[in-house]
Amino acid sequence: MRALVVDDSRTMRRIVVRILGQLGYETSEAGNGREALDLLEAGEVYDLACIDWNMPVMDGLELVVAVRERLDWRALTLMMVTTESEHGQIVRALAAGAHEYMIKPFTPDAIRDKLELLGLIPIEENA
Amino acid sequence: MNSLPALVAVQIVAIAEEVFAAMVDGEPGHLVPWAEGPVTFADPVHAWVEMNVELGGRVLLTTDAGTADDLARALLGMDAGEPVSEADLVDAFGEVANVVGGNLKALLPVQGKLTIPAVSRKSPSAAGAVPIDEVALAWRGRPLVISVWMIEKEG
Repeated sequence: MRALVVDDSRTMRRIVVRILGQLGYETSEAGNGREALDLLEAGEVYDLACIDWNMPVMDGLELVVAVRERLDWRALTLMMVTTESEHGQIVRALAAGAHEYMIKPFTPDAIRDKLELLGLIPIEENA
Repeated sequence: MNSLPALVAVQIVAIAEEVFAAMVDGEPGHLVPWAEGPVTFADPVHAWVEMNVELGGRVLLTTDAGTADDLARALLGMDAGEPVSEADLVDAFGEVANVVGGNLKALLPVQGKLTIPAVSRKSPSAAGAVPIDEVALAWRGRPLVISVWMIEKEG
């Protein structure tokens, strides 16, 4: 399975990439929503995108909206991974088309649990 | 009316412990209250985020440069003694401030946005800044101070 990690913090990208790698994912990184869209528009295909909210250039909510406007990207599961933990923000993200919401700080087990709920644990990891 | 004073030391400590256990150390117990008298920093580094709620607020983390380097190594999975670039230091320490600040903001009864984190050897502007609370912690035995400020904006 392939995942795109979208966060302006290289530190956070590295943490998420490490966790997803341990779960068997092949990962790519983007520093903001625009970079993520560029990868998708270039034809890269992912099963999962982990998206921060507060980023320069294009924030995570804008990215979710842009992805959901494209029918050919319907299969992409969107998970917000952010410090924005107010109920209203969570509702906004889910209403815009995000499938799941993970609040920082998180543990590897928490990510794994969310992905398991989404049916997105790679087969080798389940075996 | 500003709700920032509602943030009390016990909440700051609880959030900081949770952030370090989950993100930095992978287990609890490495960030504990400082118990060795007044904290001084020989070579301080500051990381902060501002909260655009009501009058505005700031969450500021201060530690020594060597401690911040070790924090970056822990977050980035680097070996002990491996050189830490300025970019890695800024990104890693800033992200800790971002997550601590974001979780503190979530405790407030009003919503608002966080700024992108800033990291500097110089402390942020004190203009209009009123201290709300401060906690001294020890991360792996070395001091780290978290303070919450109310920022009175001009105009």
